[in-house]
Amino acid sequence: MADDASRRAFISEHHDTILVSPDMPLRANLSVLDNIALIPQYLANLDYEAAADQAWTLLLLAGQEGAAVKRDPDLSHEERFVAKLLRAAIGNPPVILVDRPGMLLPDTHYPPYLFNLLEKLADSLNDCWILDYRWNEPLYPPR
Amino acid sequence: MAILSNFLTRRGAALLATWRIWRDTLRFAGKATLTACAPSAYNSATRTVVMKQIFFTAWQILPGFTLFAALLSFVLIQIVVTTATRFGLSDYALEVSMRVLVLELLPLITALFVALRSGSAINTEVALMKIQGEIEALEDAGVDTLRLEFMPRVIGGMISVLALTAVTSVLALVLAYLAVYGLQLWSFPDFTRVMGKVFDMPVMMGILLKSLAFGLAVTVIPVAEGLATPRKMFMAPISVLRGMVRLFFALMLIEVASLAFKYI
Repeated sequence: MADDASRRAFISEHHDTILVSPDMPLRANLSVLDNIALIPQYLANLDYEAAADQAWTLLLLAGQEGAAVKRDPDLSHEERFVAKLLRAAIGNPPVILVDRPGMLLPDTHYPPYLFNLLEKLADSLNDCWILDYRWNEPLYPPR
Repeated sequence: MAILSNFLTRRGAALLATWRIWRDTLRFAGKATLTACAPSAYNSATRTVVMKQIFFTAWQILPGFTLFAALLSFVLIQIVVTTATRFGLSDYALEVSMRVLVLELLPLITALFVALRSGSAINTEVALMKIQGEIEALEDAGVDTLRLEFMPRVIGGMISVLALTAVTSVLALVLAYLAVYGLQLWSFPDFTRVMGKVFDMPVMMGILLKSLAFGLAVTVIPVAEGLATPRKMFMAPISVLRGMVRLFFALMLIEVASLAFKYI
């Protein structure tokens, strides 16, 4: 995308996607595990233990089980990003839209990190789109 | 003329803003009540929030608040009993102290205590959720925040106010018995006769409705005020301040309305 206006336009056109974005924070008073478990607990009426099991499995896949009991202010950028991604993924939406990964992972060379992570979670994700500024295109491997 | 026009415009805008927030509060109360009546609104997630709300609002404060209510009740009962005896009206001491404490003071003090402790916390939490975009994030993930976050708080708050009022009222009854009759059981029939006279069915319905209204106010007003907070961090304390002031007036209005209904 060229600018913020086109980013907003793209997001509003694809309102059926689940957004992983700097503008979509975690629930601050819940741990990472509870933030992720909340979705199946609420949407699929699972009891807490079953929902937390699902969340734990995803955290293990992503290699971030150490962040399970942490709350938002105690998380590193990577842990926060993984928590947001898993919160989106656990509802099994057709498309997850990762909005401006550079803002979500400011201290990380994010394209390889992102592809590694998505590969680990490949069986738990349907489709994942990355929404980034056009000038960041050279960072991504050619498709 | 311009000054007058400016003044009236400003007052008018402030009046409209106040009207809007009360309208939104009533609308939210209606929505929350309707949602609470639907059995489909309850799942494990909402039940967890209701339980947490009851834990933080009622259970955590139970020992301290009960002790405070016992002390207050004991002092007031002693004042009423001593004064009534001095004026030769000791037959009315029990009835008067129960009317003052159980029907009026304890429900109001409970509601004020819960408002100060949990109402302010709920207002702050919802305002911060609104400012930081947490509500939007949950809704984007397919979660109905009214059903998950707000309705359970209202239910939990109402149950908590009812439960705390009931506990402190029973305690006041025990203390009143001990103050009037002493530590013996033979006067229990006399005591129950007076209580039957004070707590007839309309009075019981009145106290139940008043406690429910208090419970509704201490949760609905903070949530509605939090939801009306503009997405600017500096507005968080202003939101809490406004919410607490409106809550205080609402509680006093409920109390005055209840007094007027009973005694005028």
